[in-house]
Amino acid sequence: MIKHILKLIWNKKGSNALMILEILLSFLVLFAGLSYMLYNYDKLKEPLGFETKNRWIVALDDLHSLDSLESVNTINNLKRTLLDQEEIEALSFTSYMAPFSNSMSSNSSDDMGFEIYAYQVYVEPDLKEALNLNITDGRWFQEDDYLSSVEKIIVNQKFIDEFFEGKSMIDSTITFSGELKIIGVIDSYKYLGQFEDMEPTIMYLKDIIECKDFLVLKMKEGTPKSYEEKLSLIVSNTTNRSGSIIEQLDKKRIENGRSQWLMLGSMIFVCTFLCINVALGLFGVLWFNINKRKSEIGLRQALGAHRSNITKQFIIEILILSGFALIIGIFFAIQIPLLKVTEFESQLFYRAIGYASVIIIVLVTICAMFPSFQAAKITPAQSLHED
Amino acid sequence: MIKLDNVSKVYRTKTIETTALHNINLHVPNGEFLSIMGPSGCGKSTLLNIMGLIDEPSSGQVQVDGQSVSNYLSKATSRFRNEKLGFIFQSFHLIPDLSVIDNVELPLLYRNISGSQRRSMAADALDAVGLANRKGHFPNQLSGGQKQRVAIARAIVGKPNIILADEPTGNLDSVMGDEIMDILTKLNQDNGTTIVMVTHDERMAKKTHRLIRLYDGTQVA
Repeated sequence: MIKHILKLIWNKKGSNALMILEILLSFLVLFAGLSYMLYNYDKLKEPLGFETKNRWIVALDDLHSLDSLESVNTINNLKRTLLDQEEIEALSFTSYMAPFSNSMSSNSSDDMGFEIYAYQVYVEPDLKEALNLNITDGRWFQEDDYLSSVEKIIVNQKFIDEFFEGKSMIDSTITFSGELKIIGVIDSYKYLGQFEDMEPTIMYLKDIIECKDFLVLKMKEGTPKSYEEKLSLIVSNTTNRSGSIIEQLDKKRIENGRSQWLMLGSMIFVCTFLCINVALGLFGVLWFNINKRKSEIGLRQALGAHRSNITKQFIIEILILSGFALIIGIFFAIQIPLLKVTEFESQLFYRAIGYASVIIIVLVTICAMFPSFQAAKITPAQSLHED
Repeated sequence: MIKLDNVSKVYRTKTIETTALHNINLHVPNGEFLSIMGPSGCGKSTLLNIMGLIDEPSSGQVQVDGQSVSNYLSKATSRFRNEKLGFIFQSFHLIPDLSVIDNVELPLLYRNISGSQRRSMAADALDAVGLANRKGHFPNQLSGGQKQRVAIARAIVGKPNIILADEPTGNLDSVMGDEIMDILTKLNQDNGTTIVMVTHDERMAKKTHRLIRLYDGTQVA
């Protein structure tokens, strides 16, 4: 039967080519959309690495113009005053590489004999509690670490996976623009945003002089937004500067991902719209084809085909056409990972090819079923007479 | 053997009821070549369709080859049609996208027969109707007479006991019509195939063993 159907398809290659083209184009658009969606879905699955609930962030109004002593006094004063507030459970000063700050600093070095590239983040010991960072190996910074002769660092898991895969690096010293001792590993710190790539990251312990750009606050559960006013007053009175900006990390997180969510939503809409269009198109074409082939259906039934044979024939026909379209589509799509056209992982594209193929096959089968069942219901006398 | 007892066929729409056949009693013994004549719309084709189990009577009983038919949609009825009956139509009903030999093979597709055996049986059937050299042609490359011979080859390829022919010479000139009649007569004489033929042509009907006439759905002779 398959050989017979292949002959039918081949002998009607002109009209079938259009259907193959429609399925092929749908597959390619679906593949592109799914690649984008899977790429972002993978990022969404990655841990952000820090808590945003009940966390507020204050962008401090230029404390760099103060001299060292003055700035230390100001920061310590601010710290004490804020910790006296019952609404504030913990706080930490950070450099400008703060959550959702859109600022980044990176460094690279081949001191170890291979290229190491990493984001660098300057932190205080209090940041762990302020942001609820998750240590997966080793420990977090302590006050004693300021006194260490070798600079101590904490890295993220991506750093270990990228440069020291499978090795336990706790208490190991690496050379990266100087000697650095790894004392802990955090699972993640995607401070630029959920949709950003997880990059190898090094956290350096810095004293307060180098961490006076942002203030991260862990607020008591249920602290009202109106507290921002009081907080603003405390900050401006203590620092003698009125330009500090207070924001809630939860909101910043939403704002930070808004454009990506918008793109993702658009892509889902386009793909869904495409699927519906393809379904309607295929349904229409199949319906038309079956109506055109009524006499053939009647003839086959007169010659001994049961209704199930007719249904099977039409479904197999459309599945074979889809198969051709998918083979051509996969041939083109697979070039992207094979030729390393993009820097994204090949696995992503293979998954997108798989999902797009399954969606097309399911869609086509569903669309073929109803017209095929209808075709099988045509009585031979009726269809032969109509012809 | 085909036996019809009090077979009637009524077509109903919301507003009209049309009686196509009225209490037909007919017995066609094995090996008979029967022709059915009558004016257009008298129910000839309906009668043939009912004999061929591709249409269901509104009332009455149909027996074909000793079997009484009750469920026209069953797999058993489809298999019965496939193995015991062969059809020839006035407008040939060849599938234009299939070659001559593929058209002839069609009934065998619904049997458990290997591809090579199908091919060989189809080639033999084409040989029997004198079209062995046209296997690879497509229907649109054939004359009307050749198309009907392909249709006959398709009808006989599965070696059925009964052939039902609906105006097989209706679309052909007299010479080609005679050729087709010769083939059908030979099939009847040599193989003992029962043939029921609907025709408008008195000359063709005279070549058969028996003629019945229908008028307004009723057998009049």
